[in-house]
Amino acid sequence: MTGHGEEAPVSSELVRSYVITGGRRLPSADDLSLHTLVTLAPDRELPLGASPEVRRIWDLCAGGYLAVAEVAAHLGLPVGVARLLLTDLAEQGHLLRRAAPPPAQAADRALIEKVLHGLQTRFA
Amino acid sequence: MALRKQNDDLRTSRDGLHGECQRLHMEYAALRSQQAHALEEVRRDSEAETKDVLKSWMRTLQVLADEQQRSISDLAQQKYGNDPQMLADLMTIDHTNGQFGRRAQGIAALCGGWLGRRETTASVYDVARSAQGRIKHFDRVQIHTQVNVSVTSTAVEPVAVVLAELLDNATNYSAPGTPVEINIQAVPTGICLIIDDAGLGMSQEEKDRAAALLSPETSVSITSLGNPPRVGFAVAGVLATRYGFKVSVDSVSPYGGVRAVILLPESLLTNEAPEPAADAAAFADTGRPATGPRSAPMPAPVQIIGTTPGGLPKRRRRPAVAVVPEPYAQEPEPEHDGEVTASRIGAFARGTLLGRNTTTTEGSQDQ
Repeated sequence: MTGHGEEAPVSSELVRSYVITGGRRLPSADDLSLHTLVTLAPDRELPLGASPEVRRIWDLCAGGYLAVAEVAAHLGLPVGVARLLLTDLAEQGHLLRRAAPPPAQAADRALIEKVLHGLQTRFA
Repeated sequence: MALRKQNDDLRTSRDGLHGECQRLHMEYAALRSQQAHALEEVRRDSEAETKDVLKSWMRTLQVLADEQQRSISDLAQQKYGNDPQMLADLMTIDHTNGQFGRRAQGIAALCGGWLGRRETTASVYDVARSAQGRIKHFDRVQIHTQVNVSVTSTAVEPVAVVLAELLDNATNYSAPGTPVEINIQAVPTGICLIIDDAGLGMSQEEKDRAAALLSPETSVSITSLGNPPRVGFAVAGVLATRYGFKVSVDSVSPYGGVRAVILLPESLLTNEAPEPAADAAAFADTGRPATGPRSAPMPAPVQIIGTTPGGLPKRRRRPAVAVVPEPYAQEPEPEHDGEVTASRIGAFARGTLLGRNTTTTEGSQDQ
């Protein structure tokens, strides 16, 4: 060994994301938005030769609905890359997806108070 | 009589001169060899000096390339991940940077320098994919493996660099568009990575050159690699010798091109599974990933009930309400407690209904 000094550590990611996508075109952000929820369709078999990333998605999504953003964060991948893998799985029928339910609307407090008031005067 | 004497004298002096001539010849030869020695020493010194300088130069470039790759990853994950065009552009830059980093590593290796140390083991499949990412035509490479084994942390970079050099040769010396295959197989003494291309193969002269460079006995002089230098086999030879694995390129691929083989001995392999990249560290203390798109609201921490064989946290199936992000959420005001409760119950009811519906049908609620 001829090197002197300490060997510098390498900390960049080993597998680059363009290798994971195979250089394919990334799907548009509208296809599966950050908030879209995905889960594994029932009774599905992991495709043969699935990549480690697909296998991890499989494990993650077996537990119920997860948001696309959440899947990407768990994988440690950019959302666009996770979206491509999820789109593949959805196209093969392995994934169910649906839009996030809209945030609950706050009920009209005045109306509820009126109803309550009405009930009290009617029955009390 | 006088003539005979003269003749004898001349003969003696001729013999003397002959002897003198021979002595001078020998002296000359000795001087020549001495000079050659001195020259050789000077060359060796200057080569060593050049290598030393290049090595420390490359070290700076290697560190910069690594730093750059990390910044690109951060940008892709935390800032522009949701924008397909921006992400694609970042990937192009990343790809170029990956090739640049490999070149710097190659020169460093030839100069006896370090490649950089990985902290963790990696599956041989990921090492192959890492190598794939370091060449220009990575999209022509196909990896087939049945082997589920990891490479020790010290061997990750050298194996990836050597494989990348062989893939670079394979893609450059075969027709554009033809695939280059990596087959990973277990053999009694370790594992084999077999790289097949569909090129024209190598001439006998090229094979001899490759065999010489890949032999552990050869010490490579950086000035002997031509200009522009052909470093692939030289880098492969140096690293294989240093880290104790074997590289050969003397067979023919099933497609008529070159078959290159890397043989990794047991000592560079481990069954220890690599840690899953994102989760392992992030989950340890916070219960959810620390990295991720900042713009994406994260759901509340979820109870983890175990670990999958792959080391991922297992979580309980839960109603959809648990993961509904609240992009418009405002600070709840204390006096609105009633409203908040009502809306939560409403959302819960809607969520469970939705959840029950979509587990059996797909389509109607698709976005």
